Amino acid sequence: MKRTLLALGLAVVASAARADYPETVRDHILPGYAAFAETTASLAAKATETCDSALLEPFFQHAFDAWMGVQHLNFGPVEEDGHRLAIHYWPDPKASGAKAQMALLKGDPAKLAPGAFAQQSVAARGLMALERLLFPAEPLPADPCPLIRATATDLAATAAAVNEGWKAGYGDTMLTAGEPGNTTFLTSPEVRQVLFTQLASGLEFLSDNRIARPLGTFDAPHPERAEARASGRSLRNILLALQAMRRMVATLTPDAPLTIAAFDKAIALAAAMNDPTLAGVATPEGHLKFEILGQSVDNIRAVILSELAPEMDVGIGFNAADGD
Amino acid sequence: MTRLFAASLLSATLCTPVLAAEPAEVLSHYADMAAATYGDSLTAAKTLQAAVSALIATPSDTTLQAAKAAWIAARAPYQQTEAFRFANPVVDDWEGRVNSWPLDEGLIDYVATGSAVNEENDLATLNVIATPTFTLSGAEVDATTITPALISGSLHEAGGIEANVASGYHAIEFMLWGQDLNGTGPGAGARPFTDYAQGAGCTNGNCDRRAAYLQAATDLLVSDLDYIVAQWADDGAARKVVTTDPQTGLLAMLTGMGSLSYGELAGERMKLGLMLNDPEEEQDCFSDNTHNSHYFDGVGIRNVYTGSYTRMDGTTLAGPSLSDLVAAADPAVDMQLKAELDASVAALMAVKTAAAGGLAYDQMLEAGNATGEALIMGAVDALVTQTASIERAVTALGLSKPDFEGSESLDNPDAIFQ
Repeated sequence: MKRTLLALGLAVVASAARADYPETVRDHILPGYAAFAETTASLAAKATETCDSALLEPFFQHAFDAWMGVQHLNFGPVEEDGHRLAIHYWPDPKASGAKAQMALLKGDPAKLAPGAFAQQSVAARGLMALERLLFPAEPLPADPCPLIRATATDLAATAAAVNEGWKAGYGDTMLTAGEPGNTTFLTSPEVRQVLFTQLASGLEFLSDNRIARPLGTFDAPHPERAEARASGRSLRNILLALQAMRRMVATLTPDAPLTIAAFDKAIALAAAMNDPTLAGVATPEGHLKFEILGQSVDNIRAVILSELAPEMDVGIGFNAADGD
Repeated sequence: MTRLFAASLLSATLCTPVLAAEPAEVLSHYADMAAATYGDSLTAAKTLQAAVSALIATPSDTTLQAAKAAWIAARAPYQQTEAFRFANPVVDDWEGRVNSWPLDEGLIDYVATGSAVNEENDLATLNVIATPTFTLSGAEVDATTITPALISGSLHEAGGIEANVASGYHAIEFMLWGQDLNGTGPGAGARPFTDYAQGAGCTNGNCDRRAAYLQAATDLLVSDLDYIVAQWADDGAARKVVTTDPQTGLLAMLTGMGSLSYGELAGERMKLGLMLNDPEEEQDCFSDNTHNSHYFDGVGIRNVYTGSYTRMDGTTLAGPSLSDLVAAADPAVDMQLKAELDASVAALMAVKTAAAGGLAYDQMLEAGNATGEALIMGAVDALVTQTASIERAVTALGLSKPDFEGSESLDNPDAIFQ
């Protein structure tokens, strides 16, 4: 009721201000996955030309940037066939990825053929696996070129499959919620609930993993646990995740000023930090700054529950972060 | 105030249809089922305790096999309690003492060289059985006598690291089976009974300390289960969490079902291991009993909904159910959810049957094992499907699902006792 009245009122003033889940699908999700498919295709194409990490790096960075635009969406095609884990398996405290990659580097080259490579452990695939090959901490025991090509090709194929999944069906599945024959979404509120849940769980992942893991405690900080340190993306990923979720909120509703303000505060804090790999968490001042950033992210989570959830008339649905 | 208002709205909604069960009766029966399921877990743990004592008194292949059989039997009722965990902080805060997983077993006893790597855990190869004194976070720990208090007070989650699992079912499982070094090939852990032989026959050293550890960990499991059974008794804290306020209680029931179905069982315990093709990513990784543990999780979820629990002695405890309430509010949701719960139990049974037939759960995880992948994903998909209907049941009962992690009533049970 509130939403309808609001939409009617705004329609008189400016129809462009309309915002609900169809806008989220059209303006946020579909372009986000299209960009990820394009940038990973470019990366794979470049990797067939060269294995020079200096030449591949900009393509890798663009692809990772594009992933950060959609990484908070954990439903639909990206959840099929383990695609999400195959794109981004992190954190990996037992170093499963590095171990599996060492076996592939020294093992049977037949495992690098596209069909066979897609069967390998998700820890040995995707962006983080590619990062370990392009920015190795120690010299690799064998020429990484074939594995770089296989990993980039596999990543592009996965991204294309997810993009196709959205274009060819799942977008319509969301837009036809409540219509006869749609067994995924029985009502429009179910769609809104899923999208809200992505924000809540996306913020939780950001806080628990990208921030709290490296932060550790004052006496025992863990800068070495920051995400994507080797490629210098640790802070950038936090910033891009916040910006992407803020953009998603703007497509969902025009009327969440406190939520937008909470995002802007956290984004400003992250943008002001000059510490790409979060090495500063080991210093008293850096630790404090990063802790404050973490609090600002947790504050967004509180604000979306108090403002956005009632505005969208939803609660948090079950999600991957449930459980231990 | 808000809660009272919501609660009265809820009961008004629920009481209109004819002869529907009362939420208070459903919740009271739910707590009775929890008491019975934890009670059976305690009984089975005491049987395990006796079998462990027999193994230590007279180490032999026979007494070792008997202890292993008792452990497997003890898992069946315990796994059915897991649906009572999430959204009940009295249970969830306690649960880590008895069922933590995965563990860095090198904390406890010997492991194969290079097999216990965890870059986030510098205690991953401590081997307390071989190390009577050691330094932990700058303080010296005296482990010359291995007691339940040492395990629960100093070793469990040592250094604040969750992988330092020193107590509970999986620590005992490791003590009975040892590491499963077969990867995704056939075979479970193969600890020899002589690891408990006292004197000249002792293998792998420190058999006296190993026996002391096994006995202490088993005694601790019994006392921990004894504690939780008391929390579900009349006036117990866990019971009060779900019976004080109908809205909170019903939400806790559905949250327990949904969180276990999706994030925990389908996600963390099943799909992740499959995607990693990692045989250590199976819950009962030493004993190869994972197929049973997953199956009884699925049964436990269904028990909560149908209000029916088949006890260890074969009797059935049945009463007013969540299903009755949902059927009164939205019969279509109830029918669909019941069918989906049956389907997930059947899919988990297919995994269990295949494992019993020789395709162990860790073999199913092997890269390229299409049969194993289909079995596991069949169960994962069924669990994901039923989660959507559990959400619909929340909606049908007019319950709004708040942020459980930030919910005062659930994070701070005392708040609702005032």
